[in-house]
Amino acid sequence: MQPFLKTLEEYRDLIPGFQELLEHLQKPLPVYFRINTLKTNLEKAKAFLKDEGVDFEETPIDEVVKVLYHDHQRPLLSYFLGYIYPQAISSCLPVLALDPKPGETVLDLCAAPGGKATYISQKMQDRGFLVANDRKRGRITSLLSNVKRLGITNTLVTQGRGEHLLLPYSFHKVLVDAPCSGQGKYRIDPNTGQVKHMVKGKTNLSAIQKALIKHAFDMLRPGGILVYSTCTLNVEENEEVIEFLLNKRRASLAPLDLPVEHEPGITSFKEKRYHEQIRLAGRFYPHKIDSVGFFVAKIVK
Amino acid sequence: MPRLLSDDQRDILAGFFEERFEISRKIFQDFDMFAFSRQAFLFRRQPFEIKWPEGAFVRCGLPFVRNVAGFLKPTTVFIQRFGREARRNVLELDLETITSLCTEGEISLPTLSESVDVPGYVMVKFKKHHLGTALALEGNRLLCRFPKAMRQALSRLTAR
Repeated sequence: MQPFLKTLEEYRDLIPGFQELLEHLQKPLPVYFRINTLKTNLEKAKAFLKDEGVDFEETPIDEVVKVLYHDHQRPLLSYFLGYIYPQAISSCLPVLALDPKPGETVLDLCAAPGGKATYISQKMQDRGFLVANDRKRGRITSLLSNVKRLGITNTLVTQGRGEHLLLPYSFHKVLVDAPCSGQGKYRIDPNTGQVKHMVKGKTNLSAIQKALIKHAFDMLRPGGILVYSTCTLNVEENEEVIEFLLNKRRASLAPLDLPVEHEPGITSFKEKRYHEQIRLAGRFYPHKIDSVGFFVAKIVK
Repeated sequence: MPRLLSDDQRDILAGFFEERFEISRKIFQDFDMFAFSRQAFLFRRQPFEIKWPEGAFVRCGLPFVRNVAGFLKPTTVFIQRFGREARRNVLELDLETITSLCTEGEISLPTLSESVDVPGYVMVKFKKHHLGTALALEGNRLLCRFPKAMRQALSRLTAR
């Protein structure tokens, strides 16, 4: 059995509708478009998408549509005009949990390629101050390109290791969408049984994630909000990282108020027990939301 | 590091947009302008002093104008975001003409010099959508100045 499937088996009793999940993972990931209201409005963008031959349906998030059909051979002018950003619906959830407001000072610590950073700016109505940081130079190029394409003016893009980044600001809100094993994106090829979209590498992700969340928390103002998210189901990269922060800093979890169904964070896994507050975090399973699996936790300083 | 433009330098850039496109100077009032390399950037003005983080800075704000061979050229992203404020030198084209412009790089439009001030940069519009920049020259010549990726994509479009 492949390691991922073996890992999944460990969650059999924790994931509701486990068999349904295994079947769901054999389907391709659906495409979603987020509409960039900094350059257009919802009505105009949706009309233009239809005009371009895109068939879509509404989702629980007003500015996100689920694409039912579009001819991939035909380029979308909507894209080049910066009206849309192709983005999994679950990838929008950390931003909704962060709830950035116009005029606030916000940091996106692991921002590339910019899906969440540009959504943060959109929610801020391009007012206030956003720092979008990423570690890798190659990924910064795509971040810069997306910030530009979406017409954003309130963003400072920086390149540095998130866990050591020194910024001369303190923030109302910080998002840590941490590098992760990406299990939420995995799909199973129905013909071969092989796992697709697997992330390769032996990096000690949990150690990096713990360093990131601690440093991010320290950059918050008192009363500030930190959102930690990953696109993995792995407890070591999710609940265990939150547990680490709760043990190291005076942090507390806040409830999530999101328009999408989710399961609570896990407080007991194998022989380990985690803080009861972690139940306030959210696990978004692929078969429940028809998108990439996600973990989101909202933390108050 | 980017350099904050002085009031005089801001005045030159805002004056260019006012004169060429009749864009009100008011649209720039909530922004600082920074120069970096040959580009100027619009950055939302903050209630605090912006300090560049040491060793980590990459870029700030939206590039809105660049110096091309001594002439000021508005960027595509500026036109797409703020083009609706322009009252002059905006050229509305149909999709077939835009496709030709992108495919051939240069087209001839018989009434160009009657529609816009020649020579100089113009904004290209399709229906209600501001696409980007073209260069209008004597002899009714219109040169495409869209970014390469956008130009390649648009050249594959045909009128629906």
